Amino acid sequence: MSELTFTPVIGIEIHIRLKTDTKIFCACSTDTDAPANTNICPVCMGLPGSLPRLNHNVVEKGMLAGMALHCTVQPRSLFFRKSYFYPDLPKGHQISQCDLPVVADGYIEVHDAEGKLKKIRVNHLHLEEDAAAMHHSASDGRLEGASTSYVDYNRAGMPLGEIVSEPDISSSAEAVEYAMNLQRRVRYAGASDADLDKGMMRFDANVSLKCSDGRWGRKVEVKNMNSFRALERAIEFEIKRQKKILQSGGEVLQETRHWNDAKGVTTASRVKEFYRKFIVEPDLPPLIVNQEWIDRVTAMMPEMPDVRANRYVHDMGLTQEAADILTDDKNTADYFEACVKAGANPVRAANWVRTEVLRVLNEMQKKISEFSIKPEVLAEIVRRVDDRKLSTTQAKEVFDYMCANDSGLDDAVKKLGITEGGVAGNALVEIIANVIKANPDVLAEIQSGKDTKGKKFKFLQGLVMKESKGQAKPQEVVEALTAALKQ
Amino acid sequence: MELYELDLYEASKGIKDKKFSPKELFESCKKRIDSCEDKIHAFITRTDGTAPVTENPNGIFAGVPTVLKDNLCTNGIRTTAASKILGNWKPPYDATAWKYLREAGAVLMGKVNMDEFAMGNTCGNSAFGPTHNPNDISRVPGGSSGGSAAAVSAGYVPFSLGSDTGGSIRQPASYCGVYGMKPTYGMVSRYGLISYGSSLDQIGPFARTIRDLQLVMSVLAQYDPMDSSCFREKNPDFTHNEDASIKGKRIALVKEFQNFTLDAPIAEAMKKTQKVLENNGAVITEVSLPVVSKYAVACYYALAMSEAHTNLERYDGVRYGYTVNDAAGIKEMFERVRSYGFGSEVKSRIIAGTCLTEPSRCDEYYVAATKVRTLIAQEFIRAFGECDFILQPVTPSLPHKIGEEDEDAMKGYETDLYTLPVNLAGLPGLSFFTGYDDATKLPVGLQLIGPRWSDSEILNAGMILERHLGSPKIANGGVK
Ligand SMILES: [Zn+2]
Repeated sequence: MSELTFTPVIGIEIHIRLKTDTKIFCACSTDTDAPANTNICPVCMGLPGSLPRLNHNVVEKGMLAGMALHCTVQPRSLFFRKSYFYPDLPKGHQISQCDLPVVADGYIEVHDAEGKLKKIRVNHLHLEEDAAAMHHSASDGRLEGASTSYVDYNRAGMPLGEIVSEPDISSSAEAVEYAMNLQRRVRYAGASDADLDKGMMRFDANVSLKCSDGRWGRKVEVKNMNSFRALERAIEFEIKRQKKILQSGGEVLQETRHWNDAKGVTTASRVKEFYRKFIVEPDLPPLIVNQEWIDRVTAMMPEMPDVRANRYVHDMGLTQEAADILTDDKNTADYFEACVKAGANPVRAANWVRTEVLRVLNEMQKKISEFSIKPEVLAEIVRRVDDRKLSTTQAKEVFDYMCANDSGLDDAVKKLGITEGGVAGNALVEIIANVIKANPDVLAEIQSGKDTKGKKFKFLQGLVMKESKGQAKPQEVVEALTAALKQ
Repeated sequence: MELYELDLYEASKGIKDKKFSPKELFESCKKRIDSCEDKIHAFITRTDGTAPVTENPNGIFAGVPTVLKDNLCTNGIRTTAASKILGNWKPPYDATAWKYLREAGAVLMGKVNMDEFAMGNTCGNSAFGPTHNPNDISRVPGGSSGGSAAAVSAGYVPFSLGSDTGGSIRQPASYCGVYGMKPTYGMVSRYGLISYGSSLDQIGPFARTIRDLQLVMSVLAQYDPMDSSCFREKNPDFTHNEDASIKGKRIALVKEFQNFTLDAPIAEAMKKTQKVLENNGAVITEVSLPVVSKYAVACYYALAMSEAHTNLERYDGVRYGYTVNDAAGIKEMFERVRSYGFGSEVKSRIIAGTCLTEPSRCDEYYVAATKVRTLIAQEFIRAFGECDFILQPVTPSLPHKIGEEDEDAMKGYETDLYTLPVNLAGLPGLSFFTGYDDATKLPVGLQLIGPRWSDSEILNAGMILERHLGSPKIANGGVK
């Protein structure tokens, strides 16, 4: 009997926090650093008599995120009430677009196991409100068994976009690439900061296995992954778990499982899901998006990273690797382009940004937006190297000095004692004369014709370069030194 | 004549002309309340301990007292929806409708009784006990806005606010002998109205004259960004115009309703009213509403309960209202709060709503009802192509005795048919006074409905009817 093989079939649901100043159905701030229960009002507390009203900026951010995932904006979408009882849900139901979303039918490209590009279809992105945050005093962080629980309603009503993929993903690696790609694209679009540490991006995965003998495992929903690593591990664990069951002839139950990051396992959810059809939210009219609005938002869409990287390769002559690194973060790419716009050679500017700038930022734990050296200044450094006003070594010294001391370019050059434009003419002749004077023995050796391999000449040349602080042009040094020795 | 007997227009004019002070008016109303309230029991919460100061001495309601149905939120004043589940809850905000009245100078005498969460039509289904009809205290005032109707009828205040989800303004207005207006859905902001069936609920006024309804509507009908279902472009004009005419207006009776049985006083009122209309140049016609008459009642209950059970999901004891502190866990807490807090009528509607939206039945009931609703709205649009208004009863009978149930199920169904379709189609409906029944001395009301946004035209027609049928008197309020 041939060995059974299993093909994972994976779909991912990703919640992203849409980037707006106020919540989705009220005017409360979305500031995540505010003290607990200070960003609340009758609407997001679900007080009797209060009514939701849709924040149109949320719709716009949802449209931007959707466009970043190649989705199409739907001219008419609806809001529904999704019911369940839990203290984190002020109204006892969540207002969500469910299956009549504002944008639908997109895709994200990832690399398959053979390194080929593969499209993962995005079914849709729908808008919904976040629930409040619960803090439990039980040791395992769960509600059950906790002696006390606290609710922070600041999070209630935060705007979310839920992005639902088709089950086109075949491995944990594809899943992670899908998620990272999605993160990069929605960040680019300005739709979400998608900051995992701040809970602005959360993952659920639907995992099932197709067996080579024709059997299909049932779909298992795995919840509670808050990092790319957790997403990867949870999917891998689940594939292994289901494989073991199917191999032993067992049956995989359709269920919801909970990822326990500390233990590295998924466990069956103890809370039974309460299934109910959703009723239309009667307090919100259908969301109508006309062409004019779509056009306006389309005009706001920045160039996406892949398109941008392509342009860097084809129009600027960058390598694909360099282009990918620069476009990974929109601000970095913007910085690079500002350098080029200020007159820097693209290839050399790219080298500076991806090596020096990113290194320094990493060392200083800073964002590029906080970087003290403006792109125009970096462009000037690059240009001075091109014009041979600075050697590469000097330029890096200057750059480091500027970063460390927050100083300007000219100031740094001066502080480091560099005479721009190099040492030449009389200055060079003077240095050479001094060097020769200080090394009479070497002079004697050369003049006696013993320096057949030119070693002593090179020695003097090095001393001259050192004295000129590297600012003399080597060819000029050779010529002037030769001339001086002949005297 | 006592000051409390003045209608809204007269009261506000008297204050402006300095014939009497707001405080004198207030004291007169308070005295009237003190003398009748033991018999009528219209209040849940009285706020007339000290004379409130009007917020706007130049407003059109400057210093005129009013009461609000207790499902309208009032900042810092207990709001119960006549339910135990809200406990001693004091909203941190005002309902927009009350805010508008307040800003126009009205002062609050208190919050009045209703059926719990507006579910009922007797005002007897309240955690605070029943309200009595001021015309005959052995009878129900109608519901759910029974307290608002009774307060105006008994002369507590010249006008009040209620809400109408399926007749809850029109029916008590008719039972108590006052005018009651259910505006077009979207005409008045619902912000701060504790929801029953959100797509059916509408706030509206009670008063003893049509002119007063016009005054209140002119203040209530303003766009409010806090309610997404509130109108934007409409610009209704509720100015009182003595010269308004109904000459040439086509006023229809509904064909399918013609073989329903009506109590004699109501049948007579129908005849009398038609004559008045004809005498004033209107043409009586007939329209057919086959879908309405067959499906409206089932459609209404499916939608109202589906919406209601989700509107009531928020009452869990976590954030406000009644709660328990010794529950063993969150599940027990929810169960105990909701079991104790809700009355039985509310519970049965929650259960019905849950069943109607349960996955295996949802398409058959809730989804089907949303489709039927569209057909009903279309049928009314067609009907209003053939006529300007529809004239019909509010109920087939006069108010029954407290504690008695109407045994005739068919009559219940017909009662519903007179009121519910108006809410399904979002139409405006006016409950108007036609006179007193000779035998029982009870007031008899009828209903005029029109196409969406025809509220001001309905009131103009109502004004002509009032001129010829007479205005209601203040009920004796159980005081001989
Ligand atoms: Zn809020």
